[in-house]
Amino acid sequence: MIGNETNGHARYGDDVAPWLLGALPDEEREAFERHLAGCGRCREEVSTLRPAVEALPLAATPVPPPPALRTRIMGSVASEAELLQAAGESADRPPRDRRRRPLFEWLRPGLAAGLAAAAVAVGALGYLIGEGTEPSARSVAADVTFGHASATVRTKGDQAELRLTGMPAPPPGKVYEVWLEHDGQMPRPAGALFLVRSGAVTIPGGLKGASRVLVTAEPSGGSLVPTSRPVIVADTA
Amino acid sequence: MAFDRRKRNDGPEGALSSLADEELMTLVARGEARAFETIYERHCGVAFSLAYRMCGTRSLAEDVAQEAFLSIWRSGARYDRARGSVRTWVLGIVHNRAIDALRRTVVHERRRASDEGIEERFEARERTDVEAARREEAETIKGMLDALPEEQSRVIELAYFGGFTQSEIAAMLDAPIGTVKGRMRLGLEKLRGQLAPQGAIP
Repeated sequence: MIGNETNGHARYGDDVAPWLLGALPDEEREAFERHLAGCGRCREEVSTLRPAVEALPLAATPVPPPPALRTRIMGSVASEAELLQAAGESADRPPRDRRRRPLFEWLRPGLAAGLAAAAVAVGALGYLIGEGTEPSARSVAADVTFGHASATVRTKGDQAELRLTGMPAPPPGKVYEVWLEHDGQMPRPAGALFLVRSGAVTIPGGLKGASRVLVTAEPSGGSLVPTSRPVIVADTA
Repeated sequence: MAFDRRKRNDGPEGALSSLADEELMTLVARGEARAFETIYERHCGVAFSLAYRMCGTRSLAEDVAQEAFLSIWRSGARYDRARGSVRTWVLGIVHNRAIDALRRTVVHERRRASDEGIEERFEARERTDVEAARREEAETIKGMLDALPEEQSRVIELAYFGGFTQSEIAAMLDAPIGTVKGRMRLGLEKLRGQLAPQGAIP
């Protein structure tokens, strides 16, 4: 309805410039983006003003990036590219049904649930006891692909958990799976699958000296080798 | 882990560098590390400069640039050429990451780079043609920003480079939010007008 669009435009029309400049707080940004999807006038204005905003970063005084930055970035990229390649190769080998076999298929469902509950209980207990003197906790912030999500790997003694905030839901039919990677080797399943978007996920048995903790989206039931690019990467070495 | 070039069969060094950004991104989406490295080489300078301008410290700028480029590598499939150039896309990601980093920082701890200090250091470097061209481009656009009425360039800089929200800016300038929004729009309109005739739109 034209009347609605006009009303909406009266309310949101002034947000075009602040939105382009990144000056709207999250809630207002989301509201404006919903409006923008249906408002031709705002979209037109966005495309008129966008080139001005796109020129702004070029006004920053040129500063050469340190060479170490490139080394760090390409180090991660190279190892992830290898991982991806390896996953692609091994994904071709086993027959489809075997590859998709859930990790805990060999456990009777009741037992699996019992073990999971035990792991959570141990994790919680460890957490409570650990608050006192020993052993000291360590937190490592992870790289997360999704702009507004964050993840931290928290270890205390041989307990470990992944703390998440603001993760998007995994794609339909998928779950997130946690992997442990030991220097340059293929990542192994950490035995933790999750769907939660915020909260703590226990890594059963801790990190076992892994140098990186990865999270990928996998077919529900989990995979034995990663089949997609990691969405969370934490260097725990 | 060392980045092993021999594992790739992309042919001679020059093969990738002759590809356009958009073509490279197709390879990046398939997990080709060397294609990503070429993208990094082409855009790391302007990306790091933006991060440094926004964050004000080298260490935070490095964190932001690293986060941004790794997310570009991991989400390469999401680049959509219909929505603009690779450079614009890369800079948009750096900008978002820097804003996130700034908003995680307590306001009074925020420090922004004073452009004068950088100027000197850059002057002392041996300049290549590419650097000279980049520097000239930066001067041109900075000149356009400086040519705006001060109240307009101020709100644009606080928002875009400072990462402040419109209400923070309104409080800082002791002005109504509506006024801040209006100055942003006017400033961008003028800037757009200055860009167009000279064909300086990247």
